[in-house]
Amino acid sequence: MRAALRRAQSMVALLAILVLAVIVSPVASDGSRIFLEIGNLTDILRQISLIGMMSLAMTFVILTGGIDLSVGSILALSTSLTAMFLTRAWPTMPYGSHIALAIAAAVALSAVAGAANGVAIATLRVQPFIVTLASMIGLRGLAKWLTNNENIDIGFGRDVAASFAEVFRAKAIVIGAFAGASAVFWTLLDRTVFGRHVRAIGDNEKAAEYTGLPIRVTKVWVYSLTGLLAGIAGVLYAAENHQGNPNAGVAYELDAIAAVVIGGTRLSGGRGSISGTIVGTLIMGVLTNMLRLNNVDSNVEMMIKAVIIVLAVAVQRERNG
Amino acid sequence: MPESLLEASGVDKHFGGVAALRGASLQVHAGEVHALMGENGAGKSTVARIVAGIVRADAGSFRVDGRAVTIASPQDAQRLGIGVIHQELDLFPNLSAGENMVIGNLCFQEGRWARFRQMDAFCRPFLDQVGLTCSLREPVSAFSIGQRQLLAIARALSMNARLLLMDEPTSSLFDDAVERLFGLIRGLRARSVSVVYVSHKMDEIFRIADRVTVMRDGQTVGTREAASTNSTELIRMMVGRELNLTSGPHAGATGDAVLEVADLSTARLRDVSFSLHRGEVLGVAGLVGAGRSELGAALFGLDRIHGGRIRLNGAEWAPRSPRDAMRHGIGLVPEDRRTEGLMMSMSVRENASLATLGRNARAGFLHGAREIADLRAVSRQVAFHCASPEVCVSHLSGGNQQKVLLARWLLLHPGILFLDDPTRGIDVAAKQDIYGMIEGLSAAGKAVMLVSSELPELLRCCHRIMVLREGRVTAIYDGADATPEKIMAAATLAEAHA
Repeated sequence: MRAALRRAQSMVALLAILVLAVIVSPVASDGSRIFLEIGNLTDILRQISLIGMMSLAMTFVILTGGIDLSVGSILALSTSLTAMFLTRAWPTMPYGSHIALAIAAAVALSAVAGAANGVAIATLRVQPFIVTLASMIGLRGLAKWLTNNENIDIGFGRDVAASFAEVFRAKAIVIGAFAGASAVFWTLLDRTVFGRHVRAIGDNEKAAEYTGLPIRVTKVWVYSLTGLLAGIAGVLYAAENHQGNPNAGVAYELDAIAAVVIGGTRLSGGRGSISGTIVGTLIMGVLTNMLRLNNVDSNVEMMIKAVIIVLAVAVQRERNG
Repeated sequence: MPESLLEASGVDKHFGGVAALRGASLQVHAGEVHALMGENGAGKSTVARIVAGIVRADAGSFRVDGRAVTIASPQDAQRLGIGVIHQELDLFPNLSAGENMVIGNLCFQEGRWARFRQMDAFCRPFLDQVGLTCSLREPVSAFSIGQRQLLAIARALSMNARLLLMDEPTSSLFDDAVERLFGLIRGLRARSVSVVYVSHKMDEIFRIADRVTVMRDGQTVGTREAASTNSTELIRMMVGRELNLTSGPHAGATGDAVLEVADLSTARLRDVSFSLHRGEVLGVAGLVGAGRSELGAALFGLDRIHGGRIRLNGAEWAPRSPRDAMRHGIGLVPEDRRTEGLMMSMSVRENASLATLGRNARAGFLHGAREIADLRAVSRQVAFHCASPEVCVSHLSGGNQQKVLLARWLLLHPGILFLDDPTRGIDVAAKQDIYGMIEGLSAAGKAVMLVSSELPELLRCCHRIMVLREGRVTAIYDGADATPEKIMAAATLAEAHA
């Protein structure tokens, strides 16, 4: 009951921002509101999809009582690897399998990076903040080293890279990836033993140990999933921006964490939901779009977002005697 | 008519939509020991927290020395001479004993700089008063629970407390520490400090209290002179019905040995040897810190075993992890249900089913209907009732929380169940239910190890009682031969080997 109320609160916040966005929306020459145009609404969804996917996995990490600061760097690594595999590897392969192999390799290596975080956290028992801070630095370095700190352009010509970009920058693909990931993660959290274990471990790790739950395995999986989704986001980033950029994704981890906490997930673990995180991501996306449509300075935009984050979490704070 | 030190009347308090107190009252005389009794959820702790200024009452009037006062903060309470010893002692584990005593203490002038010598001089007399010999520089995390409690009392005394509220002070003490505490309370009374003593334990009440106030469902049922009442009357006031608290150790033949432990040693155990039989309830007695919980930790694969042999159903076995122990049919219900047992933001259903999720799942997907069916079946076994299986366990009383935790373990159907102080801090009715559950397990041929700090409980439930002292087994008595005196001697005296 109370959980439902809390979730409703973030929905109310989302509705309020939507209404505000409609009201303040600039009007096109035919009298319609630009905010409500289908093109604009799908733009919002496309823009939030990359952060949104990372937020889904971040929800799991935060539910276990952890944090993952490395997702932005994993995205940079993945986007660089994708571009390198497309432009420099396997030149004789047919387009279709070349693209599939490049994506699979980049995503798999990202998942391995995430798994390495998980193994370090679960077996060395170093705090997640510290482990992922280290890999945030180290993986960024790896991406820059692999690319000599240069953007790898994905051609606009008629090569394999160009056809990759053409397909994977389509709105339907990007939004579809986010929607699909949302469905999978919602199912994982609410319907599977794994999801229950994730929440139980974050709620009380000591009790989870006394109950014989597979704490280490669960944690390795959770961090592998963030690596996996940051890797997929990196592939889409490469297509959208026509480049593999080792400096991509800086501070994305903070946007992902913000979306999770705005969605009502408790930073200390144990309590939260995927639906909340999706709402949190939408709030951030609609807010950004509203401000940009009205030509609000991007620096002012950051200040407004800061206030929204604190307000959203303050409103959802538990009220216990 | 003795002078009234504290008078609270018409106290109301709601948490969310739930009424915790409805017009409760309490009157404490100067220099008396006043027991506050009631089942869990009756509102005793809420009264204590309101008087201590930790939570504010919605309504009610308070008088100290006959003057109307408001108690809006712990500082207010301190100025009025009210000190509190919480059930979960509110000490800072990483600060030293001395720092714990002076922090927030209005009677100690703290400057900008830490002044360790003044601190020591300030604290030492109060430690002497409570009989605690320890270094003031040592962090509290190194202290035993008994020592922490004495420190908390010393802290309250150093704040010039004239009224001490003690919330279940003996729930984690063994009988010798209880004796010391009672001596201390009598000493305080002689110096006309009043003590409000919140407890479930009937025999303690009659030994220490001058008057008794009983609460039920947020209301004050009545106050009695301890000398002119008896336990039957008090229990009737608490629960509205009479309960049979005494019943001898149930006789009964026990079967083959399921667990044979020889010379088991860990960091905290030395050469522990015993056997456990099918259908047997084996009591584990000892002072806090004697290795009772550590025995469970060793058998459950939590602590590393340095030496010795364990035979499980006749086969040699060494526990590697809790999962390993569970696979071999061993269950452990830990001492502290809140920190080691329950997921406090999960529901009753989710908590109860947590250890058996895998068994009920189909291809990793949860099976909600089976969780509910399991819970319903096991609820009968522990006499657990609640409005809905979706209620969060944090809203339950201590007794019901314990039953949820027991339900989790019963669902695994362990052949051997290690219960670490399962009735600590729960009300009399829930205790009866847990005794009934233990008897049921025993009758069904399961083996139970029962750790308890209350001797009457061990004598009531166990076929045999093993006594530990400083990590060693000092005696194993048959239930029929065991007496509180023998157990106490084996638990406390170095030379008492049976």
